[in-house]
Amino acid sequence: MTLKAYDKIKHSIRWWLLRRLPTCKQTVKVISESMERQISLREWINLKLHLWICLWCVWYLEHLRLMRDTIHAKAAQESNLDASSLPPLSPEARERMKQTLSQRRD
Amino acid sequence: MSEPQRTPQSQSPDFSAWVDEHGDYLYKYAMFRLRDGSAAEDAVQETFLAALKAYRGFEGRGSERTWLVGILKHKVTDHFRRITREAPIGEAEDETPDHNEFFTRTDEWTNHWNADHAPSEWHSTPAELVERSDFWKVLNDCLSPLPKRTASVFTLREVDGLSSEEICEMLSISVNNLWVILHRARLHLRNCLEINWFTKDATH
Repeated sequence: MTLKAYDKIKHSIRWWLLRRLPTCKQTVKVISESMERQISLREWINLKLHLWICLWCVWYLEHLRLMRDTIHAKAAQESNLDASSLPPLSPEARERMKQTLSQRRD
Repeated sequence: MSEPQRTPQSQSPDFSAWVDEHGDYLYKYAMFRLRDGSAAEDAVQETFLAALKAYRGFEGRGSERTWLVGILKHKVTDHFRRITREAPIGEAEDETPDHNEFFTRTDEWTNHWNADHAPSEWHSTPAELVERSDFWKVLNDCLSPLPKRTASVFTLREVDGLSSEEICEMLSISVNNLWVILHRARLHLRNCLEINWFTKDATH
């Protein structure tokens, strides 16, 4: 009984908040910009409240962080070029370069 | 008694040995930054040609490889500048899809996520994803439909880890322009990865 009442109140607050807060479309832009600049206090409060009631935007934020962290980790792994999985120069390209170099040298 | 002359000026360097010795390393470096085989090959070739011309100025200071990588860095930067020069101002912003359809709804909740395009839970960690050998391929496939400049901006920011200021200066774009480009690139990429990777994974 109390649980039901709690759900009802929560639902009303959620609905009331969503009507007043920036939309998801505006929020995902702020999420992206929060990775580029210090967002304002007002933006931060709106973002936190929006994330409190919108799971889709929570996942959006998580995914952007996951993308960034994975790319950084992968880039760090590959910055050791000798051990990286990047492809080497193809034999044809190697030959082309040698030819160009010997032509220019003459 | 005369010692063998070891200074580079006096000895005609074997340029084809350069290609064998440093070619792969330089190519990997260029691939790492450019993610485009033919652009990377061009950059390495230009590096060797510039090195050939400037060899006298090198005078054996430091290692040959460090010197060559230094030249290559400039060639890579030139490549990004060229892409920007070729694209008219505002092109990246105008032509990068804004994906308005993600937030189009017929009910009163317009500008909130449309359930068909809304994010779903991924159940993945960076540690797992890093182990995937097809990671760059999937990422590149998702970047390729974007305008070249948008893809370059995203790569410079996320793969090279350059700061906003550095990218704006390099590509002569405003910081607001940069934020819009990055935002749209992320919106597009997240969705593309979800469709092509995470939902496919679930059906494995």
